[in-house]
Amino acid sequence: MLNRRHFLIATASATALSARMSFAQDTKMLQVFIDGDTNISNWWNDIIKPAFEAAHPGYSFNVTITRGVGDGNATIAQRALAAMQSGTDPQVDYFEEFEPAKIAGSIEAGLWQELTTANVPNLSMINPAAPDTPIRMPYRGSQVLIAYDSAKMDAPKTFADIVAWAKANPGRFTYGRPDKGGSGSNFVIRAIHEANGRDPAAFTKANFEAAKAEEMLQKAWALLKDLHPFTFGEGTYPAGNTPALQLLAQGAVDMIPAWSDQALQAMNQGVLPETIKVAQLQDLALCGGFAYSAIPANATDLDGALKLANFMLSAEMQTSCVREIGGFPGISWDNLPPELKAEYIDVIPVSIPTYPSGDWQTAKNDGWYKNVATNLVRE
Amino acid sequence: MVDDLTAPVGSRGRGQMMGQGFAGLALVAAPLVLLIVLVLFPTVSMVANTFHVTGEGGRAFSLAKFAAFFADDYSVENLRYTLVWTVISCGTALSISLGLALYLRFSEGRIATMIHALSLFPLFVPAIVISYAMVRFLGPNGLFQLLLEKVGFTGYTTPYLTPVGPYIAFVWESLPLPVLVLSAGLAQVSDHAIEAARDLGAGPVRIFSQILLPQLKRSLLIGFALIFLGVVGSFTVPYLLGPPAPEMMGVYMQRTLGNMRPEEAQVQAVILMAVAAIVGGFYIATMLRNQRSR
Repeated sequence: MLNRRHFLIATASATALSARMSFAQDTKMLQVFIDGDTNISNWWNDIIKPAFEAAHPGYSFNVTITRGVGDGNATIAQRALAAMQSGTDPQVDYFEEFEPAKIAGSIEAGLWQELTTANVPNLSMINPAAPDTPIRMPYRGSQVLIAYDSAKMDAPKTFADIVAWAKANPGRFTYGRPDKGGSGSNFVIRAIHEANGRDPAAFTKANFEAAKAEEMLQKAWALLKDLHPFTFGEGTYPAGNTPALQLLAQGAVDMIPAWSDQALQAMNQGVLPETIKVAQLQDLALCGGFAYSAIPANATDLDGALKLANFMLSAEMQTSCVREIGGFPGISWDNLPPELKAEYIDVIPVSIPTYPSGDWQTAKNDGWYKNVATNLVRE
Repeated sequence: MVDDLTAPVGSRGRGQMMGQGFAGLALVAAPLVLLIVLVLFPTVSMVANTFHVTGEGGRAFSLAKFAAFFADDYSVENLRYTLVWTVISCGTALSISLGLALYLRFSEGRIATMIHALSLFPLFVPAIVISYAMVRFLGPNGLFQLLLEKVGFTGYTTPYLTPVGPYIAFVWESLPLPVLVLSAGLAQVSDHAIEAARDLGAGPVRIFSQILLPQLKRSLLIGFALIFLGVVGSFTVPYLLGPPAPEMMGVYMQRTLGNMRPEEAQVQAVILMAVAAIVGGFYIATMLRNQRSR
């Protein structure tokens, strides 16, 4: 019995090992981790993967979806940091999207590979609207738009338009909770901008100061509290980008802020009513942002990971980003085919307002929960 | 049934017991080590961390972090909300499962078997599936609302994104385990006792309150603990179905952690753990009393 079992285990593992080895000789598998929404992971699996394999024979990658598992990619980054400290294999090559600052001490420990034009040549084409540090690489962006039912209203042009329409049509507008998805978050940020002279430059990572922030944010809370009783369910904000789109799709509301990519995809799939259109505010656009990829310096196959990074910034993949997922490119539009630029001229933003991460984000989320959302239970 | 599992089986020779003891210890060693390394150690170090602050003079014992939690109205409101709705959900789920268990105890046949299977069904459905099903069914312009409108009722407001939303899901989700526990408890009540009471003219209410209930106390307590522990720390259901504020502690902790404030999240976790420990303590005490009474 025991012999037979040993024999079986030995043969099985030998077969597995040889299969693995022969496979390893042919193809180097990069480990890519994604915690973004389904549209992103599908895009990587269905489109990027075959294109990358064709462009770089001998390379492929395996996508692991960490969305909703533990703390998403942060958990894997923690693991990579631990592996670095113990000198073991981190089993990760590429984070599709990650904010290195999220893991305290990881930057100081040198966990993140510096990306420059020396190791990622295509970085020379990067979109000037995407400022950045060399340890994270902006490679796709999206912006929050207002999705609205064109049968019921004209395109809202200003923040005041939204408020006025919402008040005239109680319960027909809503936005997601600011910590549960960027669409709601950037609407709240837009309110913060609205209440502070529409000047995104007034908020920088370095200028956070608790007392001053409290004062600046209070003005935004007043604005949103005023809107609160007129939102769907009198302030029952949906818990994420998709739940907000779902309310729009079910006809429960007529206007929401939505990510450009998710809204366009939902419209293409016919999930949203045909009368739904998207618009950008004209007085100051809603925030957008870039998704930043990051590569751990101790990546199992660092060379391959850098190849993948460079490939993602190629005109081919950047065009795919616009066409397939309704994103906007990480490289400047001048480096893309002119016909693409002409086609999308109306949605190409002049500026992409941003809002700093870190303390300002925390103050925004906490402040919203404590000042705006609680209104419901304490009336 | 539950009791039978923990009952000692007959008497054995001393030597045999010793041998079995070693084998048993060997078997239990691996999971025990895993438990200590992966669960107990991180937990203890986390709990210790919440009782200390690191200042100029190094690490010192302090209750400051807990004081900060209880000084914050919003946090206290979240805790209160969590406890209130957990208890309400427990009460409802326990009453319904008691009803089901009583029905199953005194009924036989196909329908009873089907109801039994149906009452266990939620055990196999993940919380996220329940949540999305609820959104589609009970949500705005969902199936339920459309059906009501078909029969002329138009005053429906959806429980989605209000405290009632997660409550409905909690009750549904919590039925199976107490049904099992209470059924086991009811199976131990002898038919003779009930028949004797009937012969003496006792009605159903009297049989329930004087014969069944006293013997069910333990099962009810265990059922309560099982539901409570499941609901109090839940995340998915209140995240997807609940109101933005107040938040259940599970959702609040995740958000605090997401805001990169792990120390505050730890305090929230320890407070929730203390609450769970009280109820868990009841559960363990009941089990121990069971064994001692044998």
